[in-house]
Amino acid sequence: MNGVPQSKLLWLVSIAFITAIPLVAGSYVVGVMCFIAIFGGLAVSMGLLLGQAGMFSLAHPVWFGLGGYVSGILALRGIAPPWLGSIIGAVFVGFVSYVIGAPLLRLKGYYLACATFGLLLIVQISLGQLGPLTGGHEGLMGIPPFSIGGFILETDVHYYYLSWALCLACLWFLYNLMGSRMGRAIKSFSDSEVAAKSMGINVPRFKLKVFILTAMMASLTGSVYTCYLRFAEPGIFGFPLQVQLMTMVIIGGGKTLYGPLLGGFVVMWVKELIHMYLGKVLPRMGAQVDALFFGVLIIVILIFMPGGLSGWMDRLLDLGRRTFGKTSG
Amino acid sequence: MTLLSQIIQYAISGMTGGSIYAVIGICWSLVYLITKVLNFTTGEFVMLGGMLTWVFRTAGFSLVPSVLFAVACTILISMILERIAVRPVRYPNEVTYMMITIAGASVIKGLVLLAWGSETRRIESFFDTEIIHLFGATITSQVLCVFGLLVIVTIGLSLFLNRTLFGKALRASAVNLTGASLMGIDIGRFRLFCFGLAGGLGAITGIVITPITFTGYEVGMLTGLKGLVAAIVGGWTMTGTMVAALALGLIEGFGAGFISAGLKDVFALLIMILFLIVRTMNFASRTGRGSP
Repeated sequence: MNGVPQSKLLWLVSIAFITAIPLVAGSYVVGVMCFIAIFGGLAVSMGLLLGQAGMFSLAHPVWFGLGGYVSGILALRGIAPPWLGSIIGAVFVGFVSYVIGAPLLRLKGYYLACATFGLLLIVQISLGQLGPLTGGHEGLMGIPPFSIGGFILETDVHYYYLSWALCLACLWFLYNLMGSRMGRAIKSFSDSEVAAKSMGINVPRFKLKVFILTAMMASLTGSVYTCYLRFAEPGIFGFPLQVQLMTMVIIGGGKTLYGPLLGGFVVMWVKELIHMYLGKVLPRMGAQVDALFFGVLIIVILIFMPGGLSGWMDRLLDLGRRTFGKTSG
Repeated sequence: MTLLSQIIQYAISGMTGGSIYAVIGICWSLVYLITKVLNFTTGEFVMLGGMLTWVFRTAGFSLVPSVLFAVACTILISMILERIAVRPVRYPNEVTYMMITIAGASVIKGLVLLAWGSETRRIESFFDTEIIHLFGATITSQVLCVFGLLVIVTIGLSLFLNRTLFGKALRASAVNLTGASLMGIDIGRFRLFCFGLAGGLGAITGIVITPITFTGYEVGMLTGLKGLVAAIVGGWTMTGTMVAALALGLIEGFGAGFISAGLKDVFALLIMILFLIVRTMNFASRTGRGSP
């Protein structure tokens, strides 16, 4: 099924490729690739939720933002260094997502989406209103950079390696997870909840586990993101980010684990191209205008290519296999 | 201001909001019941109505033609959306529809931002009458227009749905889509009609509210979502939606007045989440059925 890039060779090649990029490419490419790792990693965890488990939660930016805010506030107040802050943030987000997820995940389909959409807006408004703690609408300024021991991560290249390490670690973890008993259970209830229940799978518990797991992953990514930007404001964790994540998952294809990362790669470069070529023509470039292009992409992909890029690639591989007569994948 | 006049003032502003949410909620349920699409562009139609009226007003038209043009354009946009984005979906399911309409909403929002900028826009009130005083609270003529809109829409829609053949067919397809199409009802045409009707009603709502709250490219999402809250809490029926919307408006009005104006929008969303959760609990324990 989605075991294609599981082979060790492909992993090694991609890791070598990613490691080599900062050695040859300029700082611009490294900067963009850094964002690809961060948002791609976020999209991977969203893809697990949406594509594999079939839960359409619109609250994913909430966990991303909360993680970023917790580690940012802790680091800014000097309570905990960013690396510890991001772990504390993940634990905090895990707890919050447990408390919120336990009642919320009883909902399905439209209602789950509505409730999580409400949650997204509530958190965004509250972050703006809690001025003394979160810096209000102006946001948190001057978050200290990541430091481990005496080593301070400052340049784009440092964050490039950090964010790609996190992103690939998440992906690797999810590949192993989906091969385990829990992974098979997740797949089974996304196909048919009734069938999964009849096989003795505790569906609500697995749903909650997946929800908490993806929330914590998003939180870690969020901590890296705010430390990289050294800045956080409520606006960057809002609805436009959700649209962007949806675009990544849909373009890449949520049925495979690597799909969203592939989608992240495409979306971020498309975004850069749009900014480069249309920035002069269109005066008001911003997240909302990006969302316009993403919206068009979502509609086109969903209509003409529902499986996304990875679904298309899997079909191509399948075709190749059949044509050249190799039976095992 | 005395406490009494304060209470009346908050109630009036709450009722104004509530009437708006009621009409928007009816828009959501019109589309949802017939097409099973949760149309997240509903809020953007509300925004488009106000925005387009402002555009035509600044282009030099007088109020009535601007309103007509704006409503016509929104209906057209809504129908185009149904034709090019919603209908061609190959594997229709809830999640796909939702993604498509959310994407459509961000497209509309982005286009409006590109075309007319992020500034707040306003149009003038429809009538130049004096402000009415009631126990120290004030009512403007525009507020009365909003109440009037709700009354006209509900009476008009219930007459249409109960008295005309077309309306009855519409209700039939909401109850049982397959059965209705077996009776020779053209479902494809109905879907288009529902999108158009929802777009038109949304646009009118947007126009009537704009002199009070003003409009901008980003007002659609939250306003629309509150309409959805009313529709969900009201159980997708017209009466239920109206009651829920007015209650929601009152809670919001008093909440904004007595607790915090900044957290005004949070109340409605919290109510929706709590309601949805409580509903699953009731269903599971009383009838043994699963969550909705």
